[in-house]
Amino acid sequence: MIIDANTYIGHWPFRRLRYNTVEGLVKLMDRCGVDKAVCGSINSVFYKDCQEGNEELAEDVDEYPERIIPFATVNPAYVAWREDLERSVKDLGMKGLRIYPLYHNYSLADPRLGELLKEAAALRVPVEIPLRIVDVRQRHWMDVTRTLTLDEVAGLVKAYPENHFILLNGIGYEKTQFAEMKQNNYRIEISRLTVLLTKTIPRLIETLGASKLVFGTGMPFSYPEPALLKMELLEAGLEVKEAIYWRNLAEFLQ
Amino acid sequence: MRIDCHCHVARSFEGADWTNSDLVEAADRLGINLLCGSTPITHGMPTPDAVREANNVTLEAMGEYPDRIYGYCFINPGYLKASMEELERCILGEGMIGVKLYNQYFANEPVVFPFVEKSIEWGVPILIHAAHAMDEDTRRNQPRLSDGFHIAELARIYPEATLIEGHIGGGGDWEWSLKAIRRVPNVYLDTSGSVVDEGMIEKAVNMLGAQRVLFGTDCVMEGGVGKILGAELTDVERELVFWRNMKRLLELRKV
Repeated sequence: MIIDANTYIGHWPFRRLRYNTVEGLVKLMDRCGVDKAVCGSINSVFYKDCQEGNEELAEDVDEYPERIIPFATVNPAYVAWREDLERSVKDLGMKGLRIYPLYHNYSLADPRLGELLKEAAALRVPVEIPLRIVDVRQRHWMDVTRTLTLDEVAGLVKAYPENHFILLNGIGYEKTQFAEMKQNNYRIEISRLTVLLTKTIPRLIETLGASKLVFGTGMPFSYPEPALLKMELLEAGLEVKEAIYWRNLAEFLQ
Repeated sequence: MRIDCHCHVARSFEGADWTNSDLVEAADRLGINLLCGSTPITHGMPTPDAVREANNVTLEAMGEYPDRIYGYCFINPGYLKASMEELERCILGEGMIGVKLYNQYFANEPVVFPFVEKSIEWGVPILIHAAHAMDEDTRRNQPRLSDGFHIAELARIYPEATLIEGHIGGGGDWEWSLKAIRRVPNVYLDTSGSVVDEGMIEKAVNMLGAQRVLFGTDCVMEGGVGKILGAELTDVERELVFWRNMKRLLELRKV
């Protein structure tokens, strides 16, 4: 079983994506043997009222309840976000949240985010934080100018122990305070980590344990094959691989 | 068969703690037969002594793994006489396979021309560190970072030269680069770098032709191989990208 923690559908305004419909995503998943995928709406990143993107996402994935696990994008800096959260989780059946502080123009220290996280903890839904969507070095001139830093995200993870966080598209954890953060309220998605040469995945397993890592690809922004290749090359027992492929994430989705 | 046209040997990166043995082991696990590496100095205007020292690091790696690691000779084109001597030392004397240019000058600046003429005479490729960077950090830190435009201009001045635009996945606007070099047949493109954008390889092959696209990692090992495996190419195209194109370039050498 493979669950991908890091997929998207919708329109990305700065580059033509292939496979960015639900049918396209499922086609890619079939190609590479991914059974299920956590998926968020790209449209929600850009719509002022991101709930519209959540509604689209719910409609789009309706035919694939066994394959796609929808996560709602919630913007705590926009009016009536509590209604969006409740609607997404209770009515639309979204299994978690994604937040985009840089795109939605609030800081991780914003008290409104704190309120959202408290609500998410009460609803027992995990929160995914993409540290970036694309490489800032190739940004469109209208796109955000930076990536969330691991230190600021670490501060958030520490400050909200009741929440479950899944950190997407990050790199360099082993050089930050994450290297010593043993608490069990976060997961690190592996798409930008390595097994060979710099060996960041084996190093994180050694220091933090395999329970912190979850599989992810970044489809359809990224080819899924590099992430799959890393798992194939990882020298670890079946139990560790299964934990990364799906168990660690499933624990947060229950 | 796989030939990595763009990687770096141990001690090329500041802070990297891996060895050439680790590099070859990674290559083994990914089915990479040959690694074409270099040791560029990535900041400032290195002196001839510093350049020589950097190339010695590459030579050491070549000595450790003569059948697995080939070297490019890094030069700072700002030192005409010393850099020409360094090319002679490394390519004629030590068997390096090409020239590596970094960000000391734009590729189309006249200071580069004598070295391009020498590469034509010897039939060796020039691998050029490149990106159309869109972020302030890169632009500030690498004010003379070449992109497809600069390389295409150089290629038009020297149509007999074999130029390789480095790492389409190195972080810049790769769509810019593809459009810039599309109509300049003597510019090849290497696929290396950490960016594994879905569709990137197919677009490169569609726009340039599979014969002009070369597999590389830039030491991003799984990503480098994974994106070629994931790209929707024919078997023939994939073979061209993985090794046949680079093998052909290596066979063009006259020295």
